[in-house]
Amino acid sequence: MADSVAVKPRDAVTEPARGGHRSTKRSRREARAAYLFLAPWFAGLLVITIGPIVASLYLSFTDYSLLDEATWVGWDNYVRMFTQDPRFLNSLWVTTVYVVVSVPMQLAFALGLALVLDRGLRGLPFYRSVFYLPSLLGGSVAIAILWRKVFGADGLVNAVLAIFGIQGTGWVAHPDYALGTLILLHVWTFGAPMIIFLAGLRQIPSSYYEAAAVDGAGPVRQFRAITLPLLTPIIFFNLVLELIKSFQSFTQAFIVSNGSGGPADSTLFYTLYLYLQGFRDYDMGYAAAMAWVLMLIIAGLTAVNFLASKYWVFYGDTK
Amino acid sequence: MSSGKRKWSAALLAAALLAVTAACGGGGDGGEGAGGTVTLRFSYWGSDARQKMTEEAIAKFEAKNPTIKVEGEFSDFDSYYESLSTKVAASDAPDVIQLEIRALREYADRGTLADLSSSVNAADIDAKLLATGAIDGKQFAIPNGANAFSLIVNPALVESSGQKLPDDTTWTWDDYVDLASKITSGSDGKVTGTQLSWNPAYLEIYAAQKGESFYQGNQLAMSPQTIKEWWAIMQKLIETKGSPDAAKSAEVGATSVDQSLLGTNTGAMGMWWSNQLGAAASASGQNLELLRMPKLEGATTGGMFMQPAMFLAASSQSEHAAEAAKFIDFMINDPEAGQIILSDRGLPANAKVLAAVRDKLPEADQKTLAFLEEAKSELKDPPAAPPKGASAMEDILTRYSEEVMFGRMTPDDAAAKLIAEANASIAG
Repeated sequence: MADSVAVKPRDAVTEPARGGHRSTKRSRREARAAYLFLAPWFAGLLVITIGPIVASLYLSFTDYSLLDEATWVGWDNYVRMFTQDPRFLNSLWVTTVYVVVSVPMQLAFALGLALVLDRGLRGLPFYRSVFYLPSLLGGSVAIAILWRKVFGADGLVNAVLAIFGIQGTGWVAHPDYALGTLILLHVWTFGAPMIIFLAGLRQIPSSYYEAAAVDGAGPVRQFRAITLPLLTPIIFFNLVLELIKSFQSFTQAFIVSNGSGGPADSTLFYTLYLYLQGFRDYDMGYAAAMAWVLMLIIAGLTAVNFLASKYWVFYGDTK
Repeated sequence: MSSGKRKWSAALLAAALLAVTAACGGGGDGGEGAGGTVTLRFSYWGSDARQKMTEEAIAKFEAKNPTIKVEGEFSDFDSYYESLSTKVAASDAPDVIQLEIRALREYADRGTLADLSSSVNAADIDAKLLATGAIDGKQFAIPNGANAFSLIVNPALVESSGQKLPDDTTWTWDDYVDLASKITSGSDGKVTGTQLSWNPAYLEIYAAQKGESFYQGNQLAMSPQTIKEWWAIMQKLIETKGSPDAAKSAEVGATSVDQSLLGTNTGAMGMWWSNQLGAAASASGQNLELLRMPKLEGATTGGMFMQPAMFLAASSQSEHAAEAAKFIDFMINDPEAGQIILSDRGLPANAKVLAAVRDKLPEADQKTLAFLEEAKSELKDPPAAPPKGASAMEDILTRYSEEVMFGRMTPDDAAAKLIAEANASIAG
């Protein structure tokens, strides 16, 4: 779509007399040039994206150890996943809990801070950068290691708790709390959605608020009647993005649990289990099948999200 | 902002998994270069220090064999098998491959390794140690260093807690638990007695004391009872504060030896492979000693065993099989290589090389050598390489052990599930 749109207006400007759909020599030449310039990207798409996708679909129906030839096993991998593999179901559960808890928390936090920053704070660019920093670092190995230290048995958190006479446990290594520390880590990376919320808030004309104030609406009423409805497209955008991102979380759990998903599988994220199956247990066929199931889950959720959006997302520019 | 675009980004994840595999294809074959020289690729893992030593040894080999060039492919251990298996998948396997015993059959059973029986001289390697690299009469891998799983102790910390070093030829598991808890209480909790280990070698030693072996063919051969009794030792350690609680233990267990309780002088004992004595000692900065593992009362064997620290193997796909064998031969049998590598890959497996370099070994390794020589007559035969699929064993063992330590599963339940999962993993 985007490609043809980009070419046509140019057409219209240079040859206004011809107009319409009929292509001319010149526009054909331009189209050829466009395709020529696009060719490297297409080649990359084919070789690096589409090829491997097709290959992984094929491999998901095979028993493939990486070290010897893949053998066709039909639906076996998919059947095994849902009938014989409690760890798979557990990883799905762990990931779902992680997503369902951390995404709304993170978005609420991001929105809250964006509202505060939007008050026209002095030095806003500075705060914006500071709050954005965790988003840049949050997925990194260094932060995950730091997290392990902060929430360790002798870590910062327990040192603070000790001041109040509370003897804390090793948070990252306790099956009841380990996932909680990862959720916190995710919430902490609220910067990216916050920046987008901030931009969204700036889009709302101040005249609306002025009119509301004249009518006697307080800040809470203004937030509910003006800010929230006009911000729904932004909330929706952030929600879709963060849902997809957090389903694919890997680094944090990998580092914090030292690559095992432990203790006792409590941080066994879906992608981590997929990685362990593929590269540690030499079961790449199963891993490929898991990748496709994850893709279907995410695609399905996103589709539901888009369908549901009709009922709650309000686009100010459409009637 | 079309939904299609989002779906694509999801699809990218699926793609990423295989993109790695595909992207590795079609690399250089290491074929013949200019002037008739052959280029070998040698893949290994290790520390920066090992890389330096290995490059030095390679330079020596190249000086002796001007027609062969060796390119080291080096990575850290965590990502080693990941990159090795993708190279093999892309028909781009390195000519010479460093492997550890857990991975041996994963590779050998799938036909990726060459038989070195006739091409590498292994006359000076202990026959039983050498046998661990052989499967069905084919010598797929040559051990280049050996070690034993044992107990490391910090004598100064034991004594400062008012305790004495045990007589390790007679001590029992009860003595061990007792000593550990007394160290903790004697030091007012500043020093913890020991830390827990979920290394399969530990369980293997315990099982041997009960007269059971770990694997039998493609099956786990231990009884559930043995596993439960083994867990009971660790439960007692936690109860008596001889070790940290379950959460702290899980945390400490995930770190390497230099960040362990022993390495940071906050613990007096711990169990590791004997070649880690040096790393533990340099982290702690204090004198550390090796001890025999405790025994079951009335056990006829201590159950300890030597095992190759690592092997060298050659790819069955290599176009330069003769040169690859020559390089392996150099690394294992040539004292000149031994002088450079010393005990970095475990105590040299080749007896002549060991004799030539023993005075040059670092202090910790001299200690290890003395310890192993003293205990040699008690050691049982090195166990055969574990079956294919056993790479997951340490992970399985750790997981169920933690379930038991945290009280989330009963030992009965956990032992039954452990055996079922391990057997499925091995058979699959």
